[in-house]
Amino acid sequence: MQKQDLINNNPLRALSPAGELQSVGRVSLVMARAGVGKTAILVQIALDKMLRGKNILHVSIGQSLDKTKVWYDDIFNSIVEGKKLENMVSIREDMIRHRMIMTFNAETFSVPKLEERLRDLVDQNIFRPDCLLVDGFDCAKTSAEELSDMRDLMASMEMNIWISARSHRDDDRVSNSGVPAPCHELDSLFDTVILLEPKPEEKSIALNVIKDTASAGEPGKILNLDPATLMLKA
Amino acid sequence: MKKKDLEMFRNIGISAHIDSGKTTLTERILFYTQRIHAIHEVRGKDGVGATMDSMELEKERGITIQSAATYCNWKGYDINIIDTPGHVDFTIEVERALRVLDGAVLILCSVGGVQSQSITVTRQMTRYNVPRIAFINKCDRTGANPYRVAKQIREKLGMNAVMMQIPIGLEGDMEGVVDLVTMKAIYFDGDNGEIMREEEIPEHLRDEADERREELLDNASMFSDELLEAILEGEPTVEMINDAVRRGTIALEMAPVFIGSAYKNKGVQPLLNAVANYLPSPLDIKNIALDLDNDEQEVVLSSNEEDPLVSLAFKLEDGRYGQLTYVRNYQGSLKKGDTIINSRTGKKVKVGRLVRMHSDEMEEIAESGAGDIVALFGIDCASGDTFTAKQINYSMSSMHVPAAVISLAIIPVDNKAQNNMSKALNRFTKEDPTFRSFVDHETNETIISGMGELHLEVYIERMKREYDAEVEVGAPQVAYRETITRRAEFNYTHKKQSGGSGQFGRVGGYMEPLEEGEYEFVDKIVGGSIPREFISSCDKGFSKSMAKGALAGFPVTGIRCVINDGASHAVDSSDVAFQLASVGAFKEGYLKAGPVLMEPIMKVAVEGPSEFQGGIMGSLNQRRGIIVGTLEENDYTAVESEVPLSEMFGYSTVLRSLTQGKAEFTMEFASYRQVPKSVSEEIIEEVRKKEKEKK
Repeated sequence: MQKQDLINNNPLRALSPAGELQSVGRVSLVMARAGVGKTAILVQIALDKMLRGKNILHVSIGQSLDKTKVWYDDIFNSIVEGKKLENMVSIREDMIRHRMIMTFNAETFSVPKLEERLRDLVDQNIFRPDCLLVDGFDCAKTSAEELSDMRDLMASMEMNIWISARSHRDDDRVSNSGVPAPCHELDSLFDTVILLEPKPEEKSIALNVIKDTASAGEPGKILNLDPATLMLKA
Repeated sequence: MKKKDLEMFRNIGISAHIDSGKTTLTERILFYTQRIHAIHEVRGKDGVGATMDSMELEKERGITIQSAATYCNWKGYDINIIDTPGHVDFTIEVERALRVLDGAVLILCSVGGVQSQSITVTRQMTRYNVPRIAFINKCDRTGANPYRVAKQIREKLGMNAVMMQIPIGLEGDMEGVVDLVTMKAIYFDGDNGEIMREEEIPEHLRDEADERREELLDNASMFSDELLEAILEGEPTVEMINDAVRRGTIALEMAPVFIGSAYKNKGVQPLLNAVANYLPSPLDIKNIALDLDNDEQEVVLSSNEEDPLVSLAFKLEDGRYGQLTYVRNYQGSLKKGDTIINSRTGKKVKVGRLVRMHSDEMEEIAESGAGDIVALFGIDCASGDTFTAKQINYSMSSMHVPAAVISLAIIPVDNKAQNNMSKALNRFTKEDPTFRSFVDHETNETIISGMGELHLEVYIERMKREYDAEVEVGAPQVAYRETITRRAEFNYTHKKQSGGSGQFGRVGGYMEPLEEGEYEFVDKIVGGSIPREFISSCDKGFSKSMAKGALAGFPVTGIRCVINDGASHAVDSSDVAFQLASVGAFKEGYLKAGPVLMEPIMKVAVEGPSEFQGGIMGSLNQRRGIIVGTLEENDYTAVESEVPLSEMFGYSTVLRSLTQGKAEFTMEFASYRQVPKSVSEEIIEEVRKKEKEKK
């Protein structure tokens, strides 16, 4: 199998915001309860972009560097498993060049700090990401101003950003468009919102697009994750 | 040794990041166990230096290179301490020492916390299943925060760190510790803190102590139902807690944390108690050997003194009286006058002198039992050899030895130096399998190779000091390799029919990249176009060609050669003819197969204050480094990157000036990777130029 087949066959192709490469400045949100697969879905989005030659900056809050790397290795292995990919070693090596990981402990992370680090990378020409993935974002700690600054920054630097945040079982507040707490108040600042919802009776996890400003058609398009491997199902 | 005595035995390592006070702690342990009678500081003003760093060089640099074994006795427990080096360039030493340990004390600095070297060492210890207790040292220093370090042990090392003590005061005010098992305050009196005084816990620490004890009991009760019941019913005894903590530690499920300041003589004796209470005896550890007479089947060793001897030579040292071999006995006993077998060479060896080592001094003994660590005199062997009794043929599993990544030429300044240099090299290569030496037949230069710049520097220094061998040193050379990137066909005829007996052979087939492994030969000849007896000649011809690639003369790796066609001549075909035909075929295929240069890539971790993060990343980026990731915690940053070794020369100076000396880095070999085209062209040009100069 060729690299291009891997890209074309990716179930993410069915999802317009993740499939979008051209537009910039988009802020997307993945929400779920603990352990449902937020990191897994972010890593799958990231790997897809890396395969297509885009640079991604993975910002991990509260997870170690080694653990984050293991996520990437495991998911890449699941993607290529049984596919007889040609030149696998060189594709893998090449992909690593398109990725950088930043880890913060929860107390150290803040939006202004991320901005400072990002400018450092770009100004010094060390690494220029096309897409940011922020895993473990705390919406409750972030003000609307900060997030809106982030939006402007993404637009000015021509980047996209994916954010994952955890929702809580015992907090059932939701925004008008259905974004659960603690991100409900920041609702209007997101272009795309995806909820991961376990469906035990169907033995799968639904990827529920509840908001998508880019797609002309139907929000509510649903993909599924395999609950055992947390891999997207075609 | 009797089983009963073995229970009172501890073989422990002391392992840590450089500068976290390992040597000072060892020094204090030897003082309190009365093996030495005065305390010297590392780099002390008295010029004597700490006792454990036995090599002069170590004394001068203030670092510990060799893992000397030292014996001491604490409250009836026999303790062997294996001092392990703290620098990544010497990891083979660390790994070898870890093999013979039953447990370890991991020292961490209360200010610096868990640093990259601690992470490396911990990973190695986990690989060898070494139970650990942690000692948070330097609590007298400004900025000391043992709680933060304990948290880092949990987060960064993934160990279940449980505080066994809390400090009474920190930094300059550190007075002692509260023992959470006995719930007593301990103070250290006397000139050298040798008198332990127990008091009630100070009022202001009561609540904190209660809370931390609660945590300790929660954790410990996981390992003992008896303790769990006792906690529910009321007051558990000290013995119950100790027993549970010991079980948790030996199962590697728990890492008890102790605190103190070795330099200020605080907390060392409780640590020694902990070694006795919580670390395993040789009886608690399962050791495995390979039975060489039985297809390397795994055999569990018994720790029984009546069983046949199995003993591992883990360390050689050149003493004043000849070669000193440190051995760890796993089974059986070793007596003066015994005849033992070196299972690698099959040679019989007679045990002459048997000694117990205390750094530079030694004590003659007549016998040592299973589980003990002793040294033998005048025995010729290499490090890693296994000795056994006559009736068995076991080998302790072989240790993984990584390939060298750097080499340099050394030229003795005169004849005397030449002789001494050979002696020194002979010794070093025996001591350290990652250190190699050979003579380059083209230049007639002696080349040494190893795991890093510092690794080679240390041996060059030792040559001068210990062997009086003054050498000139060439520029370090990176060990490049060549490989191919695509499949290519070959079909080569070797023919020589001018006078004498002729030579004829034709070899046809293809070569292709091999993803794992160095070289593979596949015979797909059908119908005997190459006669059976010459197939191995082809194999020989190809593998010979691997030694020197046609691109720039570096060794070739990662190639599968497949032969599927050929021709022979009834009279003129011979072994030599087919070897030469294969050499020709290899060359023909090789140049068509997209040969490329490969270079060693190092995993480089830099740590320092966050304000320098940008600068650090920039410096790595300039060196063709890929930033793998960063880690940021409060004001502290670690950057992990992969950088070609060739770009790392002199990096320590650059880093120092970039960060005002506040950052440090460690480096270890990661993998071989293709050299970018532009760089590769430069290297090839350089090689060609040198060859021209030679002619």
